[in-house]
Amino acid sequence: MTETSDLKNEEIKIGVYTCYCGGNISDVVKCEKVADALREMPNVVVSRTNMAMCSDVGQSIIEEDIKSKGLNRVIVGACAPSLHEQTFRGTVSRAGLNPYLYHHVGLREQNSWVHGNNPGEATKKAIRLMLAGLAKARLLKPLDAIKLEAEVHALVIGGGVAGLRSAYDIARRGIRVTLIEKTPFLGGRMAQLETVFPTNNQAREDLHDLIEKVTQHPNITLYTSAEMVGYGGYIGNYEVQIRQQSRGVSGDIAEAALAACTQEIPDEFNYGLTKRKVIYRAYEGCYPSDPAVDWEHYDGKPLDIDGKEVVFENTIKTFDLKVGAIVMATGFNPYEPPKGDYGYGELPEVVTLPQFIRYMGFRESSDELTWNGRPVRDIAVIHCVGSRHVAGVHDPQPDGILNNYCSRVCCTAALHQVNELREEFPQLNVYDFYNDIRTYGLEHEAYYKEASQNMVRFLRFHVDERPEVAAAPAGDTHPVLVKGKDYLTNGLEIEAAVDLVILAVGIIPNPVPELVDLMKIPVGDDRFLLEVHPKLRPVETPVPGVVLAGTAQSPMNIQESCNAASAAAAKVSALLAKGQVILEPFVAKVDLEKCDGTGKCVEVCEYEDAIAVKTITIDGKEVQRAVVTPANCSGCGNCVSACPNKAVEVQGWEVAQFEAMVEALAMEVEA
Amino acid sequence: MDINKIKADALVVGGGIAGMQSALDLADQGYQVVLVEKDPSIGGKMIQLSKVFPTLDCCSCITTPKMSAVANHANIQTLTYCEVQSIDNADGHFVAQILKKPRYVDEDDCTGCRQCEYVCPIDVPSVFDLNMTARRAIRVPFSTAVPQLAVLDIENCILCGKCARACPADAVDFTQTAYEIELEVDAIVLATGFETTPIDAKKEYGAGNLHNVIDGLMMERLLAPTGPYARVLRPGDGKEPESIAYVQCAGSRDETLGVEYCSRVCCMYAIKQAMLIAGALPMADITLYYMDIRAFGKGYDQFYQNAQAMGIEFVKGKVAKITEDENQNPVVRVELIDEGQVVERTHDMIVLSVGMVPQYNPGSVYSVGVGEYGFIKSPAPNISSTETNRSGIFATGAATAPMDIVDSIASASAAASGAAAHLEAVQGGN
Amino acid sequence: MSYKDLSKKEKTQVLKQLREEHADTVKRTQALLKEQNAIRKKIRGALGEESRTVTQVANIVDMPTHEVMWHISAMRKYDLVAEDGMEDFVDVLYKLVEEK
Ligand SMILES: Cc1cc2nc3c(=O)[nH]c(=O)nc-3n(C[C@H](O)[C@H](O)[C@H](O)COP(=O)(O)OP(=O)(O)OC[C@H]3O[C@@H](n4cnc5c(N)ncnc54)[C@H](O)[C@@H]3O)c2cc1C
Ligand SMILES: Cc1cc2nc3c(=O)[nH]c(=O)nc-3n(C[C@H](O)[C@H](O)[C@H](O)COP(=O)(O)OP(=O)(O)OC[C@H]3O[C@@H](n4cnc5c(N)ncnc54)[C@H](O)[C@@H]3O)c2cc1C
Ligand code: SF4
Repeated sequence: MTETSDLKNEEIKIGVYTCYCGGNISDVVKCEKVADALREMPNVVVSRTNMAMCSDVGQSIIEEDIKSKGLNRVIVGACAPSLHEQTFRGTVSRAGLNPYLYHHVGLREQNSWVHGNNPGEATKKAIRLMLAGLAKARLLKPLDAIKLEAEVHALVIGGGVAGLRSAYDIARRGIRVTLIEKTPFLGGRMAQLETVFPTNNQAREDLHDLIEKVTQHPNITLYTSAEMVGYGGYIGNYEVQIRQQSRGVSGDIAEAALAACTQEIPDEFNYGLTKRKVIYRAYEGCYPSDPAVDWEHYDGKPLDIDGKEVVFENTIKTFDLKVGAIVMATGFNPYEPPKGDYGYGELPEVVTLPQFIRYMGFRESSDELTWNGRPVRDIAVIHCVGSRHVAGVHDPQPDGILNNYCSRVCCTAALHQVNELREEFPQLNVYDFYNDIRTYGLEHEAYYKEASQNMVRFLRFHVDERPEVAAAPAGDTHPVLVKGKDYLTNGLEIEAAVDLVILAVGIIPNPVPELVDLMKIPVGDDRFLLEVHPKLRPVETPVPGVVLAGTAQSPMNIQESCNAASAAAAKVSALLAKGQVILEPFVAKVDLEKCDGTGKCVEVCEYEDAIAVKTITIDGKEVQRAVVTPANCSGCGNCVSACPNKAVEVQGWEVAQFEAMVEALAMEVEA
Repeated sequence: MDINKIKADALVVGGGIAGMQSALDLADQGYQVVLVEKDPSIGGKMIQLSKVFPTLDCCSCITTPKMSAVANHANIQTLTYCEVQSIDNADGHFVAQILKKPRYVDEDDCTGCRQCEYVCPIDVPSVFDLNMTARRAIRVPFSTAVPQLAVLDIENCILCGKCARACPADAVDFTQTAYEIELEVDAIVLATGFETTPIDAKKEYGAGNLHNVIDGLMMERLLAPTGPYARVLRPGDGKEPESIAYVQCAGSRDETLGVEYCSRVCCMYAIKQAMLIAGALPMADITLYYMDIRAFGKGYDQFYQNAQAMGIEFVKGKVAKITEDENQNPVVRVELIDEGQVVERTHDMIVLSVGMVPQYNPGSVYSVGVGEYGFIKSPAPNISSTETNRSGIFATGAATAPMDIVDSIASASAAASGAAAHLEAVQGGN
Repeated sequence: MSYKDLSKKEKTQVLKQLREEHADTVKRTQALLKEQNAIRKKIRGALGEESRTVTQVANIVDMPTHEVMWHISAMRKYDLVAEDGMEDFVDVLYKLVEEK
């Protein structure tokens, strides 16, 4: 505490910096006026502006001023604190100042961006905000960040390609990984694909290479049929609870059990096109190779195995883990159109692309493509089903959300499928109803080109005139008619008689409401898990130590999912490699002289183990006092308002600081 | 000790957003990184941009702090104005011979005050501003350059010595010569980025001779607060344009140019620029001639819809030819797809949405495989897109394929992950 | 030894030697400078009386507008000319900046 007392006697010298933000602020706020107004204030030693304070030049100015002018407080008025508060804390600390003697004022998100229509008032507001910052800066105290030992162990949730990739990359950095997969089998959606763009490799071959690396890695522990059900702690020290269902069948009786089982349900691996037993393997060659019992559907009846009646029991195992970081790789679901949309669910000849890919995977190969026993000669593909919805044209989803985003993979996946079909069945006639063809990647356009050269008939619809699918009149040559206008030929009315309609459905997130609730990670307007900032912190969530990998965050293809997963691994490695994490010191602090142990604070605290009344010894006497566990405290300040003795403060956000800020905000200013 | 020999864990080649992110991610994991940039400042193409989609943050808000973080990171040594000449394998390490080009300015003494720049008598086209304005033979590359140091370009210098006399820090040094640095590392990340497809490539679009037909990168500069005219004006005659049109896929998806792929960013940057122009010139009419709008990323389609709502006109059409009328107004001959007719329309200014081609061919120095279009190719593009055919050498960002900043950053972190795992394997922990 | 530590005479010597080494460059750049100075003189002359647009300057100095634009933007960058309002709402007027 020597530092604090030193400062008390020291004259307070504040540097004030107002950022133009390359015009983002200065186009609305008269930054020079702000700087002028602040320059006049007590304790302000220097008040400057700059085009971009966050640039190296801008930061150097601050460093230089601290050194040459002996500044001991710094405030910068710039973008939101979430963007660059950390940047400037680093700046002042490089110049030898305690990083918490820095205060950040938001002049962009909270001012120039929202008051573009009223520059005069915006400038006044900027001055007031800066004055409030100044008032607070006068009362800032040096603080020490909280350093905690971290568990060098990461939890990866989701065993799709993204989760696998993440787990492997983290493990290779010498960090222990626990990978949990909800279903009994690894691989996620990629296992359901056949050949994939842009390599044309067999999806499961590539996937199995990765699975093999993961399962053989000594740092990785794998749990299938496992979910996270409990969650607590904080970055570096998360305490999670995992619940694992049993596989139900083990090695020696596995094959016999599989053979004996007769109860069947629709097979979700084939999107309901086929049935599977309730003791099952997801697919031949799956990992783990042992079959599993589908507890949700198993009717509990005994099976006759080698003359013995066997009833399978789900012994659920629950256990705790301590991990330092968590990777969310919970993946996606293909969009399923509501019954009747484009004839889906009503006309048997209407399927989704993922269904069709499965069909091509399990059908017996033959020279002729058939569907429902009928030969298929004409096919229609419809793009953007469940994606790129427009308000006023499309209805929102049952949850009230409009799927207004592009699903990114369906165009190329659909064209890849069409090309394969045309190659295998050259007689096949394909109509492709699209709005924009989005084969955006380096190797994706080639699929479009091939399709165009390969006699696929492209028909372009407008968003507000979606093609219509209807049953053909009885006795027609084809079972289905697809009607639409083609704006490649001047809005010509088209009626395509086809044997099969493939809906290129989009990607929606695999909903994980329990995890979102538990972990308090934000979800975007599109229901996908939300990153902090798409460029500055693209795989991080606001919950420290919780990162995103793959399609849980947004639609992505395999390459992009793997890149995001590796990026998540890089963040986890940077975090845990040191074995230590650093937390902000903005936590409750009890003044032991004022506290008399009433425990009002404990009653109002919403966090577990953040504050408790404990017996401690002061001057040889045993007394009851509130004690804070900084790592568990969120700094919400509930206790501050509850304490009858005003004995609690949140460090860095003290009541006196707020009061000074409020007073400054209420000041009359000129601009 | 020979000061020109350095040892580190990793070498990152290229100081664009991808290279910077890779370097930061490696350094944050405790690895010693050397970042080599051929230009006098790091920052890459991104530092030339105005604001960036889809968030519309000003590009400096994202790039300059990253540049600063790189410059200030204890584990990163940045070598600007340097080029890697060769890579050898020695005892399982990579040994890079790096040529440090002379700045003719002492890096320790220079304060970046630009007084030299102001006294230098000669103006030459500024490549940073796509030749739309001038720079001096000695200059600080741009206002947010890192390092903030002057550099003298001897090829355009008249050797009058005025700068040396003007420099308050006595930093101009005409005795400097190039020298070599030998760097030993265990992993390399290539982040050498992209170039835009040349504006003069297409004869039909005026072959670069029409002064009011510019390209996307030029428009970025015009929109940037530090741009060549500090506002959006026609380079042909300095008039403010009232009608601006974008020609999409100018140089991409084009067999005749050998660029058959989609450059992935041009739709989005055109939409972004259109929105920014609508802000800067509220009266201007803005049209986009396009074949497909590829707004595929997170938040991108909503961005596209916002642009439509702002009144920006999207016209599905193929532009066959661009000519000029007597007032230097570009005239497009366009096949309107929806109407099924060919028309001529006159605009004040045309922006060609040029595409992306690789900036550097790594073949001779790094011996890594490239694909048909010259981008560095991974042997496993889906699962391990940042690996190359050489163990220990990784590639990222626009050097591997056209991609936007969001995707470049993910790719850069992925490359760092790969390089870190490689380091862990060959060094056995650090 | 670096340049700053040299005597005045030695400095002249270094520059002279460099000029010899880069003889072609210097020849080219000096020619360019001469041409540039002539153009700038004309442009300054055109802007001497009153603020003008690029087109007006181009007419006076008899040069293509795009070339004048380049020179004026260069002069603006180095604070030799400045904007001075608009003509007909679309054409920027430029004026000379007084030498300090
Ligand atoms: C029709 C179609 C065709 C495609 N074709 C291609 C192609 O050709 N090329 C290409 O590159 N990409 C293609 N894709 C995209 C590709 O499928 C995805 O990029 C990839 O599968 C995403 O992987 P992921 O790991 O993010 O998600 P997923 O594969 O969905 O994996 C998520 C995993 O997490 C598990 N999980 C979910 N919640 C929990 C929980 N709470 N606890 C534990 N585990 C949980 C799930 O069971 C699943 O195993 C296609 C997509 C579609 C829809
Ligand atoms: C007009 C335009 C507008 C754009 N707008 C946006 C936007 O709004 N949002 C968005 O997300 N994306 C945008 N982009 C895309 C964005 O520019 C790229 O995604 C990004 O710059 C790629 O970064 P990079 O680091 O891979 O490459 P670069 O930025 O090209 O960086 C490569 C670096 O490597 C250096 N280098 C090259 N070769 C060598 C060598 N041999 N040795 C040493 N150094 C070398 C170069 O000098 C350079 O510094 C836009 C692109 C264009 C053309
Ligand atoms: S990828 Fe194609 S089909 Fe899918 S939503 Fe985007 S534009 Fe529509």
